[in-house]
Amino acid sequence: MGKTKTKFAILILISLVVLILSVGIGSVMISPVEIFKIILYKIFNIDALGIPLESNVVILLKVRLPRVLLAFIVGSMLSVSGVISQSVLRNPLASSYTLGISSGAAVGASIAILFGFNFLGLMTLPFFGLSFGMLTVFCAVMLASKLDKNMGNITIILTGMAFSMFANAIIAFIMAFASETAQQITFWQLGSFSLKDWSHPLILLPIALLGIIFVSFLSTEMDIMTFGEEHSKASGVNVLKIKWLLLAVGAILTGSAVSMAGVIGFIDLFTPHIARRVFGSKHKLVIPASAIMGGVFMTLCDLIARTLTAPIELPVGAVTSVIGAPFFIYLYFKGRNGYKK
Amino acid sequence: MLELKSISAGYDDHIVLKDISFKVNDCENLSIIGPNGCGKTTLLRVIANTIEYTGDIFIDGVEAKKINRKELAKKIALFSQISNIYFDYSIFDTVLLGRYSVKKKSILSGFDKDDKIAVEEILKKVGLWEVRHQSITTLSGGQLQRVFLAKTLVQDPEIILLDEPTNHLDLYFQVELIDFIKDWAKNNKKTVIGVLHDFNLAMRLSDKILLINDGKIESIGEPKDVLKTEIMKSVYKMDVGGYMREALKKWENL
Repeated sequence: MGKTKTKFAILILISLVVLILSVGIGSVMISPVEIFKIILYKIFNIDALGIPLESNVVILLKVRLPRVLLAFIVGSMLSVSGVISQSVLRNPLASSYTLGISSGAAVGASIAILFGFNFLGLMTLPFFGLSFGMLTVFCAVMLASKLDKNMGNITIILTGMAFSMFANAIIAFIMAFASETAQQITFWQLGSFSLKDWSHPLILLPIALLGIIFVSFLSTEMDIMTFGEEHSKASGVNVLKIKWLLLAVGAILTGSAVSMAGVIGFIDLFTPHIARRVFGSKHKLVIPASAIMGGVFMTLCDLIARTLTAPIELPVGAVTSVIGAPFFIYLYFKGRNGYKK
Repeated sequence: MLELKSISAGYDDHIVLKDISFKVNDCENLSIIGPNGCGKTTLLRVIANTIEYTGDIFIDGVEAKKINRKELAKKIALFSQISNIYFDYSIFDTVLLGRYSVKKKSILSGFDKDDKIAVEEILKKVGLWEVRHQSITTLSGGQLQRVFLAKTLVQDPEIILLDEPTNHLDLYFQVELIDFIKDWAKNNKKTVIGVLHDFNLAMRLSDKILLINDGKIESIGEPKDVLKTEIMKSVYKMDVGGYMREALKKWENL
């Protein structure tokens, strides 16, 4: 365990460095010393390092910190959801897309944008995203269970993909009928963390924590389920019940993350893979490692998205895919011998 | 005691097992033999309750369908072929998962010292202790077979179901594995039900043989009764005894 603890310590250190860099870098540069000054002065009321510039305080606490935290939380949620999909589908290349969660959430959010729904305030989009994400998974899994009583993985993947395509078609219809909101929907489909205040990360944080902790309690079941359904049943796992629970939590994590930040691809496929490379396949380790790595990766991608071509901001979903796809292919082919086909 | 009463089962609309009834006493070893596709593996799956069936299965007088999964896994374990390994667990961690049904409840689903001691014992017995940290994705078919056998045994159930346990193994390991299982069952007072293609291994393992043909019981009893020339001839459509004797003659002339 000594080795594992060291790896986690390094991972936490890396995430702190990335967080500090991310809140510091931007059109106005804020040095790490100034960041500590602001945190000590504004949060702990200590002026040992001196009094920070008021403009820096506003930029850091009102603009950058909520945005960076939101990116980190969304990255964690999507990555853990990826771990769930991969375990349930017994496929290291599965993701929330395979299950239709992301597309379903996108339909929900598009409908909310189209009709200008706002009855839950800031919670409207997450509510629609989450509900439609869950509804899609529910429909896909219900159809899968009708087709195949044991809910075989291939059946789930095929129905998930069918629902995913169906959902994308609905979004295309919505955009065709409402050209004035099409741009908003398109931008949202590519993912973004811009114009986000404290309320966004604060809404997501409890959902993320509860979801990730709950899934951690099922880590042994997830380990066993990677060996297949018959094997899991014979080992004493109530496969059907655990599958439903995991799919529901996965839908909640992805649905609410997607509805806050838009559709961001690849991260849920990519980070669990890296986490497994570093920590092995045990879910007890893969879940927290993916959560942290996903957070770090997303924060870095958002940093790139808002600084690379400043003042023009890139869609963060495009950045994650541009970085993630080649790196993932490289890793997969490099380690292909590690997997028995 | 395990008792099956008029069991029928199949996949989709295809019925594989038709009205199967038999009993297996405690500490008795039973080998299931029969031609390809006759329903041997399906029968093991039914006993393990991993597929649906009609009829009743009683374990020590209790209906199997009324026992929850975890409790059932304490009574019955199934060793079956795992062809695709996608995630790289170490040998030790893989076998440790076999303790799922017997481990004591604890927060974050951890395994305790007793579980780890049980795994150590079994890994030493199957000769995998030295390589326990190796990833299962790097193992040969034979080694993998031993890992999953260890995982099944560490589950410590009353009845062990083995689906072609000697696949992928050379003759030496086939005999060694069957002897090992037989000794293990005798020492730990367990019941073994194994699907085997090799009649010699079936005789070596068990006191009783069940011959299935086309989803029905053709014969059950002591090897000397079941393996009788005329029964085997009608099921396998060849003179099995004659073939064996001819082979033996060739060996004697070497």
